[in-house]
Amino acid sequence: MSNRDEIEIAELLAKLDGGEPLLILDVRNVDEYESWKIEGRRDFNIAHIPYFDFIEDEESSLARVPQAESEIVVVCAKGGSSQMVAEILRSSGKPARSLVGGMIAYGEYLESVKVPLRGAEEGLFELRQLNRRGKGCLSYIVVSAGEAVVIDPSRAIEVYESLIARAGARLVHTFDTHVHADHLTGGPALSAKLGGDYFVDAGADFELRHRIRALRDGDELRVGNIAIRVLATPGHTPGSVCYLVADRYLLTGDTLFKKSVGRPDLGGKVEAWSQDLFQTLHGRIARLDDSTVVLPAHYADIDEIGADGLVSAQLGDLRRDLPELHMAESASFIEAMKSTTRTPPPQYAEIIDANLGKTEINPERAIEWELGKNQCAAGGGPTVRTQEASVR
Amino acid sequence: MKKLDVRGAKCPIPIVKAKKEVDQMQPGELLEVVSTDPGSLPDFKGWTQTSKTAVLKEQRTEKEGATDLYIHLLERK
Repeated sequence: MSNRDEIEIAELLAKLDGGEPLLILDVRNVDEYESWKIEGRRDFNIAHIPYFDFIEDEESSLARVPQAESEIVVVCAKGGSSQMVAEILRSSGKPARSLVGGMIAYGEYLESVKVPLRGAEEGLFELRQLNRRGKGCLSYIVVSAGEAVVIDPSRAIEVYESLIARAGARLVHTFDTHVHADHLTGGPALSAKLGGDYFVDAGADFELRHRIRALRDGDELRVGNIAIRVLATPGHTPGSVCYLVADRYLLTGDTLFKKSVGRPDLGGKVEAWSQDLFQTLHGRIARLDDSTVVLPAHYADIDEIGADGLVSAQLGDLRRDLPELHMAESASFIEAMKSTTRTPPPQYAEIIDANLGKTEINPERAIEWELGKNQCAAGGGPTVRTQEASVR
Repeated sequence: MKKLDVRGAKCPIPIVKAKKEVDQMQPGELLEVVSTDPGSLPDFKGWTQTSKTAVLKEQRTEKEGATDLYIHLLERK
C-alpha cells in the first residue's frame, strides 16, 4: 500500500505521464542504472547516486542530490535500499518516497488500456491492451458475452485473472502469437489455472512440450458474439501467427510493429526466416484492409504510446510509413534484414526453452532473466526519454 | 580473519553491516562477508571504489547445497 513514505508503481507512472514535477533518484549501481531505467511519457528529471554512497558518506551524498522543490521518488532494484535513502532524505527535510518493489515492480507492472471500438462493435465485445511498461511488452484480453481470451500473457498472471473475474467471464482460450524469446509466457500457467485451452505454434524445428490445442491457418474460433481468426505469419519465428479479432483488430505479435517488423535473426537462419517474413508481409498481411487496426506485442520506444494511451496503428498508415513494407523485391528485403542482425537478447536461449515447456521456471531466475526492455524489433534499440539532472 | 554472515539479507543490509564492522577494524585486518544476494557482487565492487575504509581483495561464488553464496573479502585500509 502507498503511504506517506512509499509510492506504488501505478501512482508513479500516472504522475510521470501527467507531467507532475518529480525527481527520480535512482540508487542502484551504475551498470544497472545505465542498462535500464524508468521511462515516462513526458520528460522528467532523473538523478543517479548509488545507495552505498549514502552508506559510505551520507553528508556528501545528500549534497549531490539535485535541488528540487518537487517530490523525490527513490528507486532501487527491489525496494529495500530506496527505503533507506528516502528515510535519509526525509530526515534532512527533503520530501521523498520510496518506490515499492523497485525496478522489479516496474518490470512487472501492467497498465490496462481499453481499445476504442467502432459503432456497432460496442456492446458486442471488449478488447484491452495490457502494457507492460517496464519491458515494452503488450498483451491483450478479449471479452464477449461472458467468454474471455487472453493473448500473449506475461508471467505475472494475476492481472489477467482479476480482469476476467471483474468481467464475470470464463477463460476459453489462451494464445501466444509465438514462442517469445525476451520474456516468459504466462500462457500455460493461466490456462492451467483458469481452464480453457492453450495454443502456440513453435514451428517444425522446435520441440514444444506444452499440451496445446492444434490450430491452423484460417481457423476461426467463436468467442461470445465474435470470431477470432488465426493467420499463419512465419518470419520472426517459423510458427508465428497473428490473430484477427472481429475482422478488424489484428494482434500481430512480433510480425509487425508500429515502427518496424519483427527481427528474423534469432534462430540463426536469418536468410530463410527473412524470406518467410517477406512472404508474410506481402501475402497474408497485404491482403488485409487498410482500416485494419494493428495491435503489436511490443514497442521499442515510449513515444509509440499514442495520446489515447494505446500502442496501435492503422495498417494503411503502416503501408505508407514503414520502409519494410515498401520493398517489392525479396532480395533487397532479405539484405535489409541481414543488416539489422545483432546480439540476441540476454538469456534468450533459456527463455525460449522455458517457453517451450522444456525447463521449469524458477521465480527468482525468471526475474533476473526478464530484466530490461525487449529487443524484438529489427533495427535499432529504444531511445530513452529522460533528462539527466545535473549530478556531480 | 573476521567473518560476517549476512545470508538471507537483502540490500542495503549487507553493506550497512560490512561498513560498521570494517570501521571498527585495525588497518590491514580482513573481513569475509558471506551473502546470498547476487546483487551484492556489483554493489560491494561499487561501494569499495569510493570507500575510505574498505578495500575489496577478492570476490567468489560458492555452492552450499542448492544455495549460491557470494563471498566478499574486505581489508581495512
